[in-house]
Amino acid sequence: MRQVPVIGPIRRGLQSDFALRFRRSRNAMIGSVLVSIVLVVAIFAPWLAPYDYEQINMLAIWRPPGGEHLLGTDALGRDVFSRILIGARVSLTVAGSVLAITLTIGVTLGMIAGYFGGWAETIIMRTVDIIFAFPELILAILVAAVLGTGTTTVIIALSLVWWPGIARLTRSLVLSLREEMFVDAAIASGTRSWRILLRHLLPNIASPIIVRASVGVGFIIMAEATLSFLGIGVQEPTPTWGGMIRDGLAALRTDPHLALFTSLALAITIIGFNLLGDGLRDLLDPKVRDR
Amino acid sequence: MSAREPLLKVDGLTVEFATLRHRLKVLEDVSLTVHPGEIVGLVGESGSGKSVTAMSVMGLLPDIARVAGGSIGFDGAELTGLSRKAMREMRGRDMAMIFQEPMTSLNPVHTVSFQIGEVLVEHFGATPAQAHAKAVELMAAVGIPDAARRALDYPHQLSGGMRQRVMIAMAVACQPKLLLADEPTTALDVTIQAQILDLMRSLRDQFNMAILMITHDLGVIAQMAERVVVMYAGQVVEEGTAAQIFDQPAHPYTRLLIRSIPSARHKSARLDAIPGSTPSAHAFPQGCRFHPRCPEAVDRCRTETQALHALPEGRSSRCWRSLEALQDAVAAS
Repeated sequence: MRQVPVIGPIRRGLQSDFALRFRRSRNAMIGSVLVSIVLVVAIFAPWLAPYDYEQINMLAIWRPPGGEHLLGTDALGRDVFSRILIGARVSLTVAGSVLAITLTIGVTLGMIAGYFGGWAETIIMRTVDIIFAFPELILAILVAAVLGTGTTTVIIALSLVWWPGIARLTRSLVLSLREEMFVDAAIASGTRSWRILLRHLLPNIASPIIVRASVGVGFIIMAEATLSFLGIGVQEPTPTWGGMIRDGLAALRTDPHLALFTSLALAITIIGFNLLGDGLRDLLDPKVRDR
Repeated sequence: MSAREPLLKVDGLTVEFATLRHRLKVLEDVSLTVHPGEIVGLVGESGSGKSVTAMSVMGLLPDIARVAGGSIGFDGAELTGLSRKAMREMRGRDMAMIFQEPMTSLNPVHTVSFQIGEVLVEHFGATPAQAHAKAVELMAAVGIPDAARRALDYPHQLSGGMRQRVMIAMAVACQPKLLLADEPTTALDVTIQAQILDLMRSLRDQFNMAILMITHDLGVIAQMAERVVVMYAGQVVEEGTAAQIFDQPAHPYTRLLIRSIPSARHKSARLDAIPGSTPSAHAFPQGCRFHPRCPEAVDRCRTETQALHALPEGRSSRCWRSLEALQDAVAAS
């Protein structure tokens, strides 16, 4: 006797299909696996690290990879593997905070400028232009120099140079959407402005902004590295990937493992976020959902 | 006509667009009335001011526009000078609008049920579940088969006719007293057009909803409208019942418009087009605004600004010779 298959209620909402489509998208899957690994490492770094990241051992400097130290040691005999794990925390904290701040500020101001126009747009976009007029890093360095060193300073400095890009992107997306009939239709049915912004415009501009943000993670980690490289970012002995690459570069010819492995960790993170962002962009477009 | 209070009473409406150098009067002295449950056709060529009239009623004029005179009475309230908030609350609840382009009038990232239900959430504070249930009900009412399933579709999964039905479901969700339909069938093919017009008429009967039908398609007007308002160059040039307008047009412009409808019965080698084109608001002609294109124009037409003359049987025309013309037509028949 064959069992008659029970056909459940047909659900075709965004939520139910999302998991299925997600699993089918190779980019999104690989990206999310890489990002998850990096996040898990960052969160559990103190427990995963085989050595104390601050522990100096002058008898074991520049040990090559293998043996007692999996990825070797640095100029002060500190375990590179442990420092990369702890460094993931700092780098991701900076990247995550900068993204959260710049997305909130940039998207909000960009939407206001694009949707309402008028004096609000003038003030917002001229501010954006002023910040754009400075070379990004120079401005970040200036801010860091004024505020003093430390993780918070890096976050503030990078946020300050990053939000204008997001605001400008958001504004241009909103400007073109503003001309769409469905926005007029929503206005004509008496929908409140904030509801039009949140319910009608935001979902439509989400994918390009998510992509921009995921690509931005790489740039932010690099920028943080640059600030640390210049000695105005996060201070020793706290390890950051940027700082470690800087130290590694000095000894590249004799002991390449420090720069190499840290760069590898950075590359994996950036690739992970980029793939995830790419995948999300495809998944969030309703027109390619049925494939 | 009965002595009922009109639902919509536009009286002497003048709207100006302020550009950098000019102040253009795009509407001048536009008056029209719509009674409860009545279907009124608003006809005119592109640029005649029909859409601006609709936008004025909805309070959706662009920022550069200004109501320079006249009044818009709706359901006992005066709309000109109403606050943005009060106007917004009225839109969608008491008066709704459907647009020409059903393909782009729906948001691609939301299900149709969400978009129909949103009006109810906005105006009546419905919960999402209530809004969804009502949306399915409305979709069935506008003739969408298998509404419960289709409610979860995204706009791109529906055909043009279906999307226009969804737009209509959205518009009638709050049972508005007035529906403004701006070229609702222009983008649809002919068989779907007829279905949509039928649907609108049956919804009118069901909800006693007045419809102001804006179109340049006289065929649509002939099928739908009880009364017709003809606009030309920012002015109303003729108003009357559909029968009056089609059988005995009083204004030369209306006569030419009707003659330009291709007919299967009266074969002519060429399509009777009206020579020339609609004047732009930069340069409305002196005198009667239609005189450069009017085959019957005489000197008086070129110099004397025309007012809307009242004619017998409640009609009116902006041509000083209309009364004469009507009498001739009656005598001839």
